[in-house]
Formats: sequence, C-alpha cells, structure tokens
Amino acid sequence: MMLSRETAGGRWRIRPDGPDKVTGRLAYLTDLAAPDMLYGLVLRSPHLHARIRAIRTELAAALPGVHAVLTHRDVPGLNAFGISRQDQPVFCFDLVRYVGDAVAAVAAETIETAERALELIEVEYEPLPVLDTPEKALAEDAPKLHPQGNVMHSNAYKRGDVEAAFAACAHVVEETYSTPRQMHTYMETEGGLFVPEPDGRLTVYAPTQHGLLDRLQLARILAVPEERIRVVSSPIGGSFGGKDELNIQPYGALLALAAGRPVKIHNSRRESVRAGLKRHPMTIAMKTGIDASGRLLAHRVRIVADTGPYATLGAEVLNFAAEHAIGPYRYANVDVESVSVYTNNGMSGEFRGFGGNQAIFALEGQMDRLAELIGMDPWEFRLLNLRRMGDPGPYGQTIAQTDGAYQVWQKLKESALWHQRKIGGRCAGGRDADVRDAGGKGSGERKTAASAAAVPGNSGGNARPPWIRTGIGAALVMHGFGFGVGLPDPAAGRLRLAEDGRIEAVFGYEEFGQGLLATLETLMIETFGFAPDDLRLVIGDTDRVPDSGSSTASRTTAMMWQALRQMERPFRRKLLEAAAGLIGKPVESLALGPGGVMSANGGQRLIRYADIAGKTAEPIAVETHFHFPTSDTDKFGAHFLYSYSAVAVKVEVDELTGRVRVLEQYHAVAAGPVVNPQGYIGQIEGGSGMALGYALMEDAIMENGRYLTGNLDTYLIPTIADLSGSTAVEPIEDLPDGDPYGPRGIGEIGSVGLAPAIAAAVYDATGVRVNRLPINPALLIRKPEELWKAVSGQ
Amino acid sequence: MIDRTNPVPVQTGSPVFAFTLNGEPVAVTAPPSRRLLDVLRHDLLLTGTKIGCEIGRCGACMVLLDGKPVNACLTMLYQVEGRRVTTIEGIAGGKDALHGVQRAFLEEGGYQCGYCTPGMIVSAAALLAERPDPTDEEIIEALSGNLCRCTGYGGILRAVRRAAAIGREADG
Repeated sequence: MMLSRETAGGRWRIRPDGPDKVTGRLAYLTDLAAPDMLYGLVLRSPHLHARIRAIRTELAAALPGVHAVLTHRDVPGLNAFGISRQDQPVFCFDLVRYVGDAVAAVAAETIETAERALELIEVEYEPLPVLDTPEKALAEDAPKLHPQGNVMHSNAYKRGDVEAAFAACAHVVEETYSTPRQMHTYMETEGGLFVPEPDGRLTVYAPTQHGLLDRLQLARILAVPEERIRVVSSPIGGSFGGKDELNIQPYGALLALAAGRPVKIHNSRRESVRAGLKRHPMTIAMKTGIDASGRLLAHRVRIVADTGPYATLGAEVLNFAAEHAIGPYRYANVDVESVSVYTNNGMSGEFRGFGGNQAIFALEGQMDRLAELIGMDPWEFRLLNLRRMGDPGPYGQTIAQTDGAYQVWQKLKESALWHQRKIGGRCAGGRDADVRDAGGKGSGERKTAASAAAVPGNSGGNARPPWIRTGIGAALVMHGFGFGVGLPDPAAGRLRLAEDGRIEAVFGYEEFGQGLLATLETLMIETFGFAPDDLRLVIGDTDRVPDSGSSTASRTTAMMWQALRQMERPFRRKLLEAAAGLIGKPVESLALGPGGVMSANGGQRLIRYADIAGKTAEPIAVETHFHFPTSDTDKFGAHFLYSYSAVAVKVEVDELTGRVRVLEQYHAVAAGPVVNPQGYIGQIEGGSGMALGYALMEDAIMENGRYLTGNLDTYLIPTIADLSGSTAVEPIEDLPDGDPYGPRGIGEIGSVGLAPAIAAAVYDATGVRVNRLPINPALLIRKPEELWKAVSGQ
Repeated sequence: MIDRTNPVPVQTGSPVFAFTLNGEPVAVTAPPSRRLLDVLRHDLLLTGTKIGCEIGRCGACMVLLDGKPVNACLTMLYQVEGRRVTTIEGIAGGKDALHGVQRAFLEEGGYQCGYCTPGMIVSAAALLAERPDPTDEEIIEALSGNLCRCTGYGGILRAVRRAAAIGREADG
C-alpha cells in the first residue's frame, strides 16, 4: 500500500516542532543573540597550498572595537580536530592546504569592524605546488600534504580469483564512472552563539549531529575538562552529514573565552561553500563478467576518492563505498581496491548516503549494461543474480537476515510505473541501430538498443514532438546503517517522571529536520499509551542527555526503538507500582494511559502523573546503554543491518536542449515497520530530491583547486519545478519472525537509488549511456540532421 | 542569559524611516541602504525571516511588501518607507492565530528542518491572496523562488493544494 496522509490515518500526527516552525517562532541557534555579543569571523587561506612564513596581527588587534585576534599561538590545547583522526588544524601554522583553511579569527563589536580587522591581518605565504587531482597527489614525486603521505586511506577485499573467472566469462563489461562534488546545501549555514558563563563554563549553541562528540573535540582544543563545556545543538536548519564535523565551533569557543564575551558566528553562504564539506568525488572503474546464462562470475572494482586536505570521516566513507560497490548481488569472485587521496581541493566528507551514492551509481550501471549485452530485461537480470534471504553480506559477513532485496525487487516489478514500460512501444522515427561495443569507452556514445526485448525504449510515449523522448529506468539499493564493525557505536536513552509530572524521554540525538522528535513522540505514545501533552522530549543538550551516539548513519530511529524496548517494562512497572502505592490498588489492576494511570479494565483515570511525581521514595527513572548491533566479522566497517529499496523513474528528455525532466517516481522500501509515516515519506521524497540534483545538475566544480561556484546562483539545487512530478512511496514493513531489531534506517537510502535509475531511464529514452554525473545535457542533444530524419521519417 | 529583547543600538545621525510592520507602525533609524533583512533580524529581532544566500536566490527571507512577495535581502530600508511589510510573524494577522497556509503545512507535513518554511509560507500566502484556486502550474511558478533542501517539495505542493481547498471550503 502506498504511504500517504490518508493511508496513515491516525498515525499521521502534527509534529511536535511543527507549530513553532510554521509560525517562525522557533529560534534556530543562528537566530540567537546575547547582550554585549561580539561578531566572530575567520580568516581563511587565499592559497591552495602554501607555507606560512609569518602572521602579524598587531594592526588588527589595535583596531577600536576589536576584542580578540587569534592564531595558532592562542590555542591552549590540541591545535587540531577531526571526528576520526585529528589532522585538521584549528589554525594553520606551517602549511595551508586548501582555500578554506583557517589562519586567524577575530571578534569585534560589529561585523563591519570584524571584516576590517581581517583585512589588517598580514600573512606571508610561500606558494607550493598544487595537487588538484588525486592523480597528481599519488605521483611519486608529489609533495606530501601530511607526514604519512597523500594516501589518506585504502581498503582491499578479495575472494576467489577474478582473473581466472574473467577468462571463463561469456560477457564482460568494463566501465569507469565519475561522480560529482555535491554540496549538502542545508538552508541554514553553519553558525552559532558562544557564551562564557559566570561560573567559568562555556555554553556552545551550535548545530552538530553529535553534541557530546563536539564537546569532546572542543575540550581537547580548549584544554578544559569536558564538563566545563555545554553544547546545545538542536534545532538545526538541515545538515545531511554536513554539520557532523566541527565547523565554526573551535573559533567561536576560542574567541568567546579570549574576549570574555558572547560571540556569534554565522557563515555567509559564500564562506559555507568555501570551507564546508562536500560529497567525495569518486572515480570508480568496474569490470564485471557473466556466464552465457547471465550469472555473475566476477566483479573487479577500483575506487579513487578525492578527500581534499583533511580526513574527517573520509576513511569511513571509502570503506562504505567499497562495501556497497559489491552490493546485493551474488558473485564468487570479487576484487575491490579503493584509495582515498589527500589533495588541495575542497574538503570532502560525510554526506547522506556516505559513499553508497557513488558506488551504487556505478554498480547499477554495470547491471544495466550486462543485461543488455546478454539480451535480458534489466530487472530480470538483477533477479537472476540477486541475494536471497540467508545469503551473507557483501563481504561474506554475517548479517541480520531479511528478504528485503527480493521484496523490493518484486514490488517494483508489480508497480504501475514499471508496467508502463512494458506497454510503451518504441516511438516511430527511431534511432539508428549503431550498436556499440559494451566495453567501449566514453560517455554519451549514442547507441540504439539491439533488441526491443532488451530495452523497450520510449516507454509510455504519446503524441509528442519527436525531439521529446520518454524513458523508464530502475535501480536497486542495499544500504547498511550504523557504523559497522570496529567503530564505537554506542546507544542510550533515559525515561523519567519529572517533578512537574511530565514524562521525560531523554536521548542524545539531534533534530535537523528529519522528524526525530515526531518519531520519538510516536514511539512513546504507541509504546506506553501516553498523550502528547504528558511528554517532554529532551535532546540536543550535553548537560541533560546520555551518550546515545551520533544522529548519523540512519541509526537513530532504530536505536530509539531498541532503547524503548529495553526500558518499557521496568519503566511501566515503576510507574504502576508508585501509583498502586499511592491509591492503594493492586498493580495488576492498573494500566498507563493518557494523562495518568488508569484502571486496567474500565479505563477510568485513577491518578494523574503529576500526582505521582515527587511522591515516591525512589525517583521513577530508567536508563539503558547498549551498542549498535554488529556483525561477527573482523572486516572493518562491514555492516550488520541493511535496508533495501528499488526505484523506478520515468523521465522526459528534450533532445533539442538535452534537458531531462523527471515525470514520475516509484520507491519500494524494505526497512521494517514504519514508525512515523510523515517522516518516512519525507525521507524518501526528500532524499530522492537530492538524488535528482546529483543526477542532473549538482556539482561544486573546482578549477585549479578553486570553487567556480560561491553561492546559490551558480550552484543549482532542484526547485519545486524540477520536482513537481508524482512520487509514490511503498514501504514493505514485514520482517522475519522473531527479528529483534525492529525498524531499519531510512534516513539515507532515499538519496541513493534515483540517480542510477535516471541514468537507466535516459538510456531508455535516448540510447545514450552515461557514466558521469551530473548528466551532461550536451550528450543528449541530437544533431540537426538526426532530428530532421526523426521528424521527416526518412 | 539569552536575551532576545535587546536590539542593536540605532545608528546616530541616520534618518528615520516609518512603515507598517505586521499591522503596527514602526520607525527605524538606520542608513537608507540598510537591508530590510538586517533591519528585521538584527535591529527588530524578528528572526522568523531567515537568511540563506543574501542574493535573492533561496527565498528564505521572503516577506510581503504591500502584499507582494519580495526578498528582504534585496530590499533596502528606504524602499519600505510608508509601505506595509508583513513577515511570517504577522502573516496570520493575530497572535496565536494560524493562516490557512500555516495550518495546511502542519497538517500535510510540508516542512522538515523548517528553515525555508517561513519564506515558503509567505510566498504561498501571497499566491493564494491573488489566486485563491491556483493550478499546479501557478503554485510551481509562485514557489520557484523558494528553495527547500529537505522535503523534495512533495509535502509543500500538497500543503498549498490543501490550503487552497481549505479556502474554498471557507468560502463555500
């Protein structure tokens, strides 16, 4: 059944954070102001790669209205940060490695004064050779950007013998795929308010995806105990992974402590583009072979990722890409080598999909090409090679078993959109039958499918100008969630009856729009029978929350569900025992309900929660700590829990302009029970909107290490006009009997499958195979003589 | 500790500009070229109007000027002299009231992070004031200057359709 407000019925609730969002009352952390507040700005390197000879700040410091000018000399603790490895300087001291590198920071009474102060800081640089491609950085004589060299991380996995298997293959497809430097483009740029408190503590009001980790990183930099820092980190105007790493927090914190006054920093979009994370550009070479019946025999993958100047989670992104480049298919022989390379380009890092977007674009491209080679329907070809329940994970590791891959495959096959593809005949005045070698190089080589059975083409076409072509394509996604083997991945939660009678649900998670608060509210209502007004949802404040781990990796809904499952019985028992003691009735005769404890049979309210609060000897509170479930393999980063999706899309290609329009989408998602229907639709629709941008328009192009784009006039994200087509979302909720893990993650998977599906649909429409995103419209423009033939039918 | 009622001091020597803001007369002393966005967010602490690109491309700072949507980042203070400015805080026309568009956004879930939402609602309200029963094409045209990165616009489109339907019911 398609998910919608109508089909969700009573489970479709107004989000608890909704009223303040639609009225503008919600104060984002970049909306905050404080008395005597100063404005902070960061001086960033104008060079891609240079040695710092000298930094002079005297003139800036002497400017009236300036209260602090800081450089590397003013960092009391560790002059470095990074979630995974701390290789990014807070302030550069010897080298600058990209145009966003921070060299100094100022705090002043007005933004104008702060800007003037930045101009007065004198930095002498000695430019060094620039490594603006991974190839240059990997060259033997390349200067080292870091002491250990320019290979930030590499990863290899082998099973079987691919070379021997290729020799036995009936067909082999070899293709190299390239993916763009996509920008998160959260609407609220990085920023926050930093307040030195009278008791000597520091309060940080700044968005992040893991407040306690920011606190740890800031404690290292400031050389103070973590308890001296409070991080308030929600609400957030979008993140998508982009605010997971520290951004402006070190500068705000250092400036506020140096000046002894509150400091506000709010990045302009231009500064956000320059300094912020992007999705890793990757070059993925794949060689994949099948036997005469279409069964996959061998799969070789080589991934080169451009991680930019510093690591952040680049190593983990690479591991994820390598695992997902194997994906949900069966092959006996696999050989994956991947490397992520330091360069002087912009920062790459964590971004929704986490390396899966790149890998699945390549992998699904291989499946489509192989199917065509052997003359099979691309969807049937996938089924022939698809993992089934009981199969191990991509690395051969133990995983939590579901039949998700087959379930989404089946639903897509049954979908109305996929049926359109079957009935749509090839448009008259078709294309030249210039079949090209499947192993051939070069994107955009026009070719016509060899047989109508293999590629139906121009599906669902009506009377249209002959230069408007439609096509339908599909892709399948297996997406791991949680961090995987070898990384600390804690989870925790707390339930408590507060003094004022509210039931507090306390988690160390962040609300950046995904609907976490709504999901938590729904879980509390449906688990215990509370009313929304009984609840106080507490998140995003390190002084109040347990270490629930990060709000990343599609993990929070699953972790909240599991935490509540563990806390349900003891919390219910404590509440009921307290009520029983107060009203003198047996526990068995009582039940929890909206507003208070009820009679278990009659449903009549016997005592309000407010009348239980504070009346018991022991506080009524339960807390749980546990670890995200992991596989028993020792393969670093391998996942244990997976979600699956299948995406079909219908596109329209204008062969005069080369522009692609998405007309219709269908998403089948197998991720266990739907907890929050509104949030679920939002994640799939919103994620696929990002995938549309990835496929058709988004790339923060760098030339010689400098961004050619600085703002939203040249970095284009989809508008409502690009996404006005219909989108159907069909969740598959059933899990195997006895499955203990509950709802699976859906925060990222929606952002993955649409891009390869669009590539397949474009091929269906035009006969042009693309191996590079975003799709270059020039490749889809038909030459005038071709169009003339199409129009005249000659 | 966080005091949001302490506006930035006025700049001495600047002229005074009088206009109507959310139905109330206001007088702001500031340079004539000061951006309306800064007047609202910094001087008057009305932070419901958001800041996203500062070049008129994202629509996060959309406000109504005599009922027409404008980007507050591209509007200078002198341009609002004697005119009516309506922000998200005043769109419903009363404290604690909700505009039909706001109700529809709540009911359909036409928002996620909510940062684009004030601008989106202002644009949609302006559309429905002019075209109470818009076609999808008119909705798309009216909202094409407002970027949203979270929703994929599906919920937004459904919300504006619903707001129009609520309006029709109210009229019928």
